[in-house]
Amino acid sequence: MAAAAAVMAAALREWAAVAARQEAARREALASWEPLLVSLAGLAEQLRAARRLAWGSSPLGAFGELRERLWRKQRGAAEALLEQLGRRREELRALRDAVGTGAASVLRVYEENAAELGLAETLRRGARRPSLADVLEGLQDVERYYRHLYLESKLLLLSISCDSLEDMEALPQAWKRILERYEEDTVQDVLFKVSLYLDNQ
Amino acid sequence: MGTGRRVSLYRAGTPPKKPSSFPKSSLPKFSLPKPPRAASHLPPPCSPPPPEARTPSPPSLGRPPPPGRPRSPRQEPGAAMAARGGERGRSRGAAQAPRHRRRRPPAACGARRGRGWAGPDVSALPRGAAMAAKSPADGTPRRPVLSVSARKIKDNAADWHNLMMKWERLNDNGFTTANKIVNMKISEQFQDNKLEIACDNSATESEKPAPKYNEELDKCCAELLETLKHMTKIQLKMEKLSSTTKGICDLETFHHRAGNCPAPLFHTWPTPYFYEVSLKLSEMYKKELQLKKTIVEEIAHSADQDLMMVYLSSWLYQPYIDNSSKLLLEAMLLETGHRQC
Repeated sequence: MAAAAAVMAAALREWAAVAARQEAARREALASWEPLLVSLAGLAEQLRAARRLAWGSSPLGAFGELRERLWRKQRGAAEALLEQLGRRREELRALRDAVGTGAASVLRVYEENAAELGLAETLRRGARRPSLADVLEGLQDVERYYRHLYLESKLLLLSISCDSLEDMEALPQAWKRILERYEEDTVQDVLFKVSLYLDNQ
Repeated sequence: MGTGRRVSLYRAGTPPKKPSSFPKSSLPKFSLPKPPRAASHLPPPCSPPPPEARTPSPPSLGRPPPPGRPRSPRQEPGAAMAARGGERGRSRGAAQAPRHRRRRPPAACGARRGRGWAGPDVSALPRGAAMAAKSPADGTPRRPVLSVSARKIKDNAADWHNLMMKWERLNDNGFTTANKIVNMKISEQFQDNKLEIACDNSATESEKPAPKYNEELDKCCAELLETLKHMTKIQLKMEKLSSTTKGICDLETFHHRAGNCPAPLFHTWPTPYFYEVSLKLSEMYKKELQLKKTIVEEIAHSADQDLMMVYLSSWLYQPYIDNSSKLLLEAMLLETGHRQC
């Protein structure tokens, strides 16, 4: 049983190191979303101003095609921003996949050693030591966290449309609401749990 | 848009200089990636410097050097001189701003110079002979020897690039200034509205304060005018480039009037196509300048926030400069050899 516990500990140690790096990458990826969304919101305001303007009576009325040309340029800028946001989303997807793979490999190690460890050992919990079951549950929480975060960001991007300028202007607020839902330190809590488990074996 | 509400350009917490709401900064900017050794992109037409003499990447494309003109040590330190056994390199490094104009033919075209310089020689030699001369000593291929017309067109391509880069810089500066002006106008409007409310409540008309002279606004307007002046100069230079290219085309046509089909000066472009491209670019910038003139004239006099927003947006996105302009420029640089495939 000691050998199985050692194998589990090694797998968890490795997972924790990778998860800490992924957490830093997640923070970085999320921080890069806001300026892009703010830019998109600003662009939506510009599109709206151009839409509201009485071009004919303005000093710009003499410029033929200006309205269409400006609209095309603004749309182009919006598309470029959306492209960048798409790349950010891909970063989140890559993180989600990496986290999922990491958690799956730890669970596989557990399954391989489950018989040797036994149910009692898996559920054994101390005053300063979470049980292995708690730790494995934490791993799944982290995996779920990344998965939901990716899905939310994907949904937000899918909802963006240059035809709905009001929604575009509200993007920074919508993003803030998403972040508020995900600002709890799920990953940090699980990392803490893992380190308690490893230190108090 | 309510009074006092700042348009997206002046979002609270954003630096006033470059509003984050304008996504330009996040867009791929038009700038040339600095090649590791850009001098190799811009060899002097007839006397290429040795590799050791190449200077670090330039901020802008350089025109080919004035041959025969001694290079100051400041322009090309040590390496060139050492490579040439103490003789000063003839080529002006591409890292130097290529502002001086070459008006003399290249020294290496000695045969022609020997006869005395009598205007551009448009006798484009067949590419096989003229463009790929071989060093007599070792038989290694040398840099292409371009005809005068080709060199002039190559110079023009470099000038196009430099002018467009300058224009972009000025556009960014102008946008910053215009943004400040609009900010000031909006905060003025906001103050005026507050004062109006206060004055409505006050007893006498005489208590209304007179509108103040805004020195800062005046300064920004002067700054914007100055930017526009620079842009106008650039646009004039662009027109000159087009007319020069037209001249070269005419010369080529004249030279080949006998009916023999002229070979392309570089790779594939027929000479008139350079003029077509120059003209297209020139027209774009001309229209854009007209728009900018109107914006400069009106921006500080407008009270409509939507209009101000459109002014700023139009300044930033330059609607009359098509996205194809970059493609045309890059194609020209590629064709003339400033860019490597």
